[in-house]
Amino acid sequence: MKKRFLALALVAAMSVTSLAACSSSSTEATTAAAGDATEAADEEASTGVKTQSESEDGKYELALVTDLGTIDDKAFNQGAWEGLVKYAEENGISHKYYQPQEGTTDSYLETIGLAVEGGAKLVVCPGFLFEEPVYLAQEQYPDTYFILLDGEPHNADSSDYKTSDKVMPIMYQEDQAGYLAGYAAVKDGMTKLGFMGGMAVPAVVKFGYGYVQGAEAAAEEDGKNVEIMYNYTGQFAATPEAQSMAASWYQNGTEVIFSCGGAVGNSVMTAAEANDPQGKVIGVDVDQSSESETVITSAMKMLSNSVYDGIKAYYDGSFPGGQTTTMTAANDGVGLPMDTSKFENFTQEQYDEIFAKLAADEIELTSFSEGNIDPTKDLTELTNVKVTYVE
Amino acid sequence: MQVIIFIVQQTMYFSIPLLIVALGAMFAERSGIINIAMEGIMIMGAFTGILFLNLTGNSMSGQLQLIIAIIISVVTGMVFSLFHAYASINMKADQTISGTALNMFAPAFAIFVARVIQGVQQVQFTNTFRTDVPVLKDIPVLGPMFFQGAYITTYLGIIILIVSTVVLYRTRFGLRLRSCGENPHAADAAGINVYKMQYAGTLISGALAGLGGLVFVVPTSVNFNADVAGYGFLAIAVLIFGQWHPIKIFGASLFFGVMKAISASYSGIPFLAGLGIPSYFYKMFPYIVTLVVLIFTSKNSQAPKAEGKPFDKGQR
Repeated sequence: MKKRFLALALVAAMSVTSLAACSSSSTEATTAAAGDATEAADEEASTGVKTQSESEDGKYELALVTDLGTIDDKAFNQGAWEGLVKYAEENGISHKYYQPQEGTTDSYLETIGLAVEGGAKLVVCPGFLFEEPVYLAQEQYPDTYFILLDGEPHNADSSDYKTSDKVMPIMYQEDQAGYLAGYAAVKDGMTKLGFMGGMAVPAVVKFGYGYVQGAEAAAEEDGKNVEIMYNYTGQFAATPEAQSMAASWYQNGTEVIFSCGGAVGNSVMTAAEANDPQGKVIGVDVDQSSESETVITSAMKMLSNSVYDGIKAYYDGSFPGGQTTTMTAANDGVGLPMDTSKFENFTQEQYDEIFAKLAADEIELTSFSEGNIDPTKDLTELTNVKVTYVE
Repeated sequence: MQVIIFIVQQTMYFSIPLLIVALGAMFAERSGIINIAMEGIMIMGAFTGILFLNLTGNSMSGQLQLIIAIIISVVTGMVFSLFHAYASINMKADQTISGTALNMFAPAFAIFVARVIQGVQQVQFTNTFRTDVPVLKDIPVLGPMFFQGAYITTYLGIIILIVSTVVLYRTRFGLRLRSCGENPHAADAAGINVYKMQYAGTLISGALAGLGGLVFVVPTSVNFNADVAGYGFLAIAVLIFGQWHPIKIFGASLFFGVMKAISASYSGIPFLAGLGIPSYFYKMFPYIVTLVVLIFTSKNSQAPKAEGKPFDKGQR
């Protein structure tokens, strides 16, 4: 009896598979036709980040190609995507994102090609990893417009920088955002700080350098001595190693850690929550206060604003291509989200004051020298801040 | 003192998942099935367990919630490992390929399902699982080390270690399981159902790997992003380093755990930071030792003789 049942079940299973095999060609056709409908359904099903709009002719005018992260990484890609979606929805423009297979120039370029074939008139490329792909793509697809965040198009060995009229590179002064975070932390009364970056890419290093200098400025004003632990974890991922390092810093008295590298923040937040008393965390890129109670503020780049403005300029016919747009405190490109911040002593007035100074270019920040990421080597004139660089 | 307590606590976060998963892999290999799908099964187990934590939120007490999540992870791991068992035992497929397939399938599946359910791929959870053990927490030194702010999963890992050792060496089942890994044809001739034993081994490995995934993620992050950072593979290294023996595996996982904890946290420990040894040294050390040990032991490796070879009754 048992065996007979098994045999029956097997026969049933086999017939299903063979039927599926026979009819596979017709299934494909149906899937393609039903594609648009499914996409629309998908979008309704998802409650969080919207993935794409429906399009009648299967063409998408606005496209975003993600880098190593995804459009819901709660950081870089998501910020850019939100700006794009905002403009597209206000104006009823079809839009879609594309995710490269792997993190190589070839793969990025191929994905940009897909976007162009898919009808994209403007492609948003978030991240400095797109510098080389966009450099190549601007010649390959001369009719397409590009917005490149965090970088300038150049060739493989950085010997040639070229930005065509249809490319708008946007750079951020991360050091100003980091400066604000460091300044606020010390003004808030903290003297033992930490910095945990992801990979030591230029943006991360700039955040870190600004952070140290902001802390220095506040420490000088208040006549305090500040210690900063400083490390690049080497990857943008939540690992037990990152958790352990953060835990050891908190355990050793560090009061706040600036987690500057995507998912590294999750590890730092876990360590902060587990420590007794709870440690504090400064988020990065976007407002991360919703991710953990321990996040007191975030060093933000106004990603969605700048993408939104760039797309708007394109449709208004005033696309500022050919030159790099730099987002700074002066054009509200960086800042701290004071509404969601949990400072004890640092006030809105103090923030406005220091922000105005940055915006007026009264504060000069030292950047990293070529080939060096160690702040103790570049920032030699620190008086009140002692940086411990952890390799 | 504070520092030693801290290192011991951190070591547990690394060692316990490695121990649980390596013991799981041991059961599979001892029954003759190589299960390199540990990474994938960890991801699946962690995914369902944490999805449960996410969906139930704060609706029940932390420990109860964690225990239910553990059960869910274990069941998921077993179900997922059934694919591997079916392919490698019934279909006599190449076990490496079937395992690799599961490893590739798991993260994609976790991301896809998370997106469908909640729109984003990171599954968030609130960590309310740290607990103090009554009475024991007041023991000097040992109290703060093991019984304050601890996870019950740590004790679970130790229990699994003891049970595994007893089952493998003191029960009829353990003897039969081991014989299937060494010489399945002899076992078959002695009247043991080899297929059944291999199914049991693979299912146990799936259960422990699923559990290990959850144990790995809970203490070290606030969300799950379809990734266990290669610890499934590291656990297989621990298994080999531990020469397929539970107690040696425990030693190996402790060794890896201590080295990982020290290399990650030495910068916050004044004594170690003062020594001035670069972190690369701590990071390299366990792997170099593994290589050296393998060189010396590879001649008389304790690996089960018949592992990886599909058992065919008619073959001689």
